[in-house]
Amino acid sequence: MQITFLLFMVETNQAGSVQIFNTARLNVLIALIIYAILLLWFIYHARKGKELFIRKISGLDAVEEAVGRATEMGKPILYVPGLATIDVISTIASMNILSQVAKKTAEYNTTLLVPNRDPVVYTVAREVVKEAYTDAGRPDAFNADNIYFLTQDQFGYTSAVCGTMVRDKPATNLFVGYFWAESLVLAETGAATGAIQIAGTDSIFQLPFFIVACDYTLIGEELYAASAYLSREPLLLGSLKGQDWGKMVILGVLLLSSLLALLGWQKVVSLFNIG
Amino acid sequence: MKIPEILSKIPRQIIYLIMALAIIIPLIVPIGMPINVKPQTKKLVDAIESLPEDAKPVLVSCDFDPQSMPELYPMLEALLNHLFAKNIKVLVMALWPQGAGMADMALSTIPRTYNKEYGKDYVFLGYKAGAAAVVLGIGDKLKNVFPADYYNTPLDSLPLTANLTNYNDISLVVSLSAGDPGYRTWLFYGQSKFGFKLGTGVTAVSAADTYPYLGSGQLVGVFAGMMGAAEYETALQKTGYKLTNRTATKAMDAQSLGHFFIMVFIIIGNIGFLLLRRSK
Amino acid sequence: MKKQIPLYICMLMGVVMIVQFFIGHPVSIQANEHINRWVIVVSAFAIILGIGSLIDHHTDRIKRKNEGWPFSIITLLGLAFMTIIGLFGGIKSGTLFMTVYSNVILPLGASMFAILAFYMASAAYRAFRAKTTEATLLLIAAFVVMLGMVPFGYFISPKLSEFAEWLLKVPNMAAKRGIMFGVALGGVSTALKIILGIERSWLGGK
Repeated sequence: MQITFLLFMVETNQAGSVQIFNTARLNVLIALIIYAILLLWFIYHARKGKELFIRKISGLDAVEEAVGRATEMGKPILYVPGLATIDVISTIASMNILSQVAKKTAEYNTTLLVPNRDPVVYTVAREVVKEAYTDAGRPDAFNADNIYFLTQDQFGYTSAVCGTMVRDKPATNLFVGYFWAESLVLAETGAATGAIQIAGTDSIFQLPFFIVACDYTLIGEELYAASAYLSREPLLLGSLKGQDWGKMVILGVLLLSSLLALLGWQKVVSLFNIG
Repeated sequence: MKIPEILSKIPRQIIYLIMALAIIIPLIVPIGMPINVKPQTKKLVDAIESLPEDAKPVLVSCDFDPQSMPELYPMLEALLNHLFAKNIKVLVMALWPQGAGMADMALSTIPRTYNKEYGKDYVFLGYKAGAAAVVLGIGDKLKNVFPADYYNTPLDSLPLTANLTNYNDISLVVSLSAGDPGYRTWLFYGQSKFGFKLGTGVTAVSAADTYPYLGSGQLVGVFAGMMGAAEYETALQKTGYKLTNRTATKAMDAQSLGHFFIMVFIIIGNIGFLLLRRSK
Repeated sequence: MKKQIPLYICMLMGVVMIVQFFIGHPVSIQANEHINRWVIVVSAFAIILGIGSLIDHHTDRIKRKNEGWPFSIITLLGLAFMTIIGLFGGIKSGTLFMTVYSNVILPLGASMFAILAFYMASAAYRAFRAKTTEATLLLIAAFVVMLGMVPFGYFISPKLSEFAEWLLKVPNMAAKRGIMFGVALGGVSTALKIILGIERSWLGGK
């Protein structure tokens, strides 16, 4: 116990300083623990069957309508999972939403096209869609050719997707993930073909373009809420509640810190430094 | 088709044609709109202008790629012109691989205009991967990060860099930044730790993010987008410097006219929409 | 088993990487760098699957003579050509590979980027209509910022330029930061859910 404590707090003098625990990141650890407790607390309550209210998110309500529209028109649905790699959290969130969308397209027997920029994302997307079709009881309807890799070049990928939109004329376009400058090119081309468009990204710079050019936009954290919202699974809804309360805690901390700083206690600012 | 319908449903092709003409014509026949130099641009211009002729070298970091070239390359050209005209020594490097290509392009023409000698008046360090590690490493010892220049010449053998150790031997760092790594990397890992003067040129979309750092003094000045580049060129011209190329100033005419026609289309669209609504 | 092993690996690696963030020991930092290098290696292997998919996709289009199938032939020829000249000629500056890249790929990418100017015009024309109060506010803000960002805006009124900057520096920045907070929390939440195995859609199925 004592050795563990010593190992934990070792910090020798100047030359050859070795930190086992980076004390400059203690604030991050505390924040992480508080947030994890909040999440787990609400997940625990959700497990007990407590009814949790989630506000309406129009963009996600529109997914069902969009899939139905594509089925009626006999046209495919285009799902663009963003241009980032799999280690970017919004791409993982996109895979979660793809799973839900794929289940719906399996049920409605609608073609789902998923062009990919990253080869790892392509392999994940293929498995996600395959499993979704299996879970929906339609493994026979799964067509691996509809989930494909294009190119890693940003605008090469964009041109290829625009070409798909112009040729195949999907009834619904879903742009969910991380995007860069190509966001408006994709959204405007889709708008020109008359498709209904739902976008979701956490890229602050591209949100305005999607808001202007798409019918529905999931802004920032709505993208992360989508999986919980669409599946309505209690555990996921519980985590969503925890997320919201986490924001309230941050708001409280910000207000308190601002007040303290205004009253002259400038040291409070250094509490937020990360080493 | 009635007029309100025509106004609210102008075909895309017409919009694209007018936009194309609005952008191309000013590039061929410049309008020469006067440009006002904003305070954030003036601050960086003054920071460079205040450097004496025998000042320590200025480090220019080309942290952008060909996609951001229209906004950032004119800044690079104007900056090199400014520094060479003032006889200030220049070190050029890049945190982006394509940035080295951009720097190489500029350094192949501009130094010649001022009869600058490679190795004595300027050195091109090239690209180094690692972003934060590079910035931190230079603070320790530049030659650990760049043992040789872009052309594989050892830095010890070049007069400009022979006795150069770290940021203490650099008067100013200017990062021309299109994203990450960029000015933030220089700020968080360099300026905040080593305290050197840092200026930046950024794309227009990122300009607002730099203002808090400008306000706190962590950045000495900012060139914001192509407008910032044009302002820099104008400021230099007013001070009496002759530039090899005023790319951004010429391009601002095209951008201004482009913006103007976008606004015209928006007004036309709204007139059509309001007339239609009234008729219903 | 097929789904449990990946879940356990995910949980283990997730916890390891979280703990690593707080350990300043050189061994921890080296381990982090090592793992990052492995990520690059895995991605490199994944490209083989990606290229397989690309060839499959376009071969299929040629066989079925789908709309635009001649372009699939060009795509495959382009892939083969660049691979051959890259492998046998090298990819350094001055080689055929870099000449083609600099004179074909880069200008094409720049052209696609340039299309944005036209798309912005058509998107603005279509979307900036004063249908509701919020839409009208958006319209006015767009106008002010567009005018403020060009020289003649200053000459209409210097205050316009200042107001445009204020709009970007204050309300726009406030909204951006609010969204960033939400995104950061959402990201942490999603990561924790995946590490703890609560969120399993990424694995496929329930």
